[in-house]
Amino acid sequence: MKIKPVSTRWFWLLVMLLCLGATAATARAEMKLEAQLIWGTSDDVTADPLHKPVDADVAAKLKSLHLQWKNFFVVESKQFTVAKDDTQSAKLSKDCEVKVKNLGHGDVEMTILGRGKEIGKIKQSLPKGELLVTGGNAENSTAWFVALKQLE
Amino acid sequence: MSSETNFSSADDQTLVRAAQSGDMMAFEELVARHRDKIYGRAFSMMRNEEEAIDLSQEAWVKAWQRLAQFHGESSFATWLTRITINLCLDQLRRQKRVRAESIEEMDEESGGVERQMPVVTVNPTERLERGELRQRIDVALGKLSDDHRTVLVLHEFEEMEYKEIAKAIGCSIGTVMSRLFYARRKMASLLADLKQMD
Amino acid sequence: MTTEQQLKLQAFLDGELPEGEARDVAALIARDPEAAKLHAELKNTRQALKGADAGMTLPESREFFWSKIKREIERAAPVAEPEPEPVSVFVTLRRLFVPLSAVAALVIIGVIATKQFNSTADAAATQGTVTELADAGAVTYHNYETGTTLVWLSYPADDSTQPKTTVQ
Repeated sequence: MKIKPVSTRWFWLLVMLLCLGATAATARAEMKLEAQLIWGTSDDVTADPLHKPVDADVAAKLKSLHLQWKNFFVVESKQFTVAKDDTQSAKLSKDCEVKVKNLGHGDVEMTILGRGKEIGKIKQSLPKGELLVTGGNAENSTAWFVALKQLE
Repeated sequence: MSSETNFSSADDQTLVRAAQSGDMMAFEELVARHRDKIYGRAFSMMRNEEEAIDLSQEAWVKAWQRLAQFHGESSFATWLTRITINLCLDQLRRQKRVRAESIEEMDEESGGVERQMPVVTVNPTERLERGELRQRIDVALGKLSDDHRTVLVLHEFEEMEYKEIAKAIGCSIGTVMSRLFYARRKMASLLADLKQMD
Repeated sequence: MTTEQQLKLQAFLDGELPEGEARDVAALIARDPEAAKLHAELKNTRQALKGADAGMTLPESREFFWSKIKREIERAAPVAEPEPEPVSVFVTLRRLFVPLSAVAALVIIGVIATKQFNSTADAAATQGTVTELADAGAVTYHNYETGTTLVWLSYPADDSTQPKTTVQ
């Protein structure tokens, strides 16, 4: 019985795609992340010259939330790698720390600590290209944000 | 044989019966007759012209497909309005729009019992002409969150009872009451503010 | 007034209270100026909203709007399926053999891959879902278009985590 050539091609294509998926899964086990402490304000300039505006991608994502603040400045930025089922922490200021646990499958558990006290914990899928942001009020009608993303 | 001339003077019941037999011209007359009302309902919920047009169009298509299920328990317009409302609710749930422009609106979006109620304004629309009032209401409705506006529209415009609203949007009667209360207080405050801004 | 009293006052206005409770609220309105003011505001607002949604006009012509509906009705109408051609047994078996063997291979490889990479992570942490918040007052927003999630915490605005204007 002769099998049509086109059917054989599809079969091997499927096998190949599955192998690629398995390889990608291995690569996904470890996550390279960046956490940023960001200050949101309606003022056009920040008093601290060391604070730079967020990059265009982050700016666009924050703007898509239609928040009242016009400008966003990076106060601190930390990059770190987290293996699967492991937790890494990054200190973003004297009082602000973020802990990130790699739950596998591209999921993270992000815990925000203020003065050592847990103030927020989020479990979320975090694919590359997406941004997970926590935030709250700050004085003088400004806001603080902690933004987490996977690096390429 | 049906003719357009006959249909323009026929009542809804006659048109529905003809449409149920497959007469599209009869259905077209129903569309012409009620399209503004259905669009208006969709717009009051979605606050977006394009979405309201699409959803009202979808409602008409669904009405055609479900005509056999309409047995005259309510008026055709009421039946169709309910279809429209359900489509709008589905769309709002799908979108989960992020529209917070201030912390206050974020509080509204959460749908809970809100913290800071405005000061009571006994008559927020005193001395306003009807046309001007309608315009202000339109602006104020646009400032409410989806959750609050939905409850207000269903209660004030559709005259649905608390339990009907709760069933339609899938929440408790308590939540309906809280959202309606906040929406009304917020409307009064917005209408009074808009008046003061002039 | 308590929140419960305020909501009962509203329910009284809307005719949603049983008789006994309605009498109690009526008495409250009669003796409490604050309740009377609130009742007046709710009543006036309700009155203002009456008929406010009337008079909207669909911004498309009758013909154009109808043409779209008609097209959609005709598109969605079920079409009669053509009669299937008779097929020989051997052709049928051959058509089944290749996809079945592909599925079998996928299952074998999939089981091996899954066993190797399966995690013990919390099952609630599914794709794209925020499932657990330690802050009961937190509010979450997604913008699916830009892939952005914001979790707004109720953490008060004090000196703890706010970004300072000088580097710490």
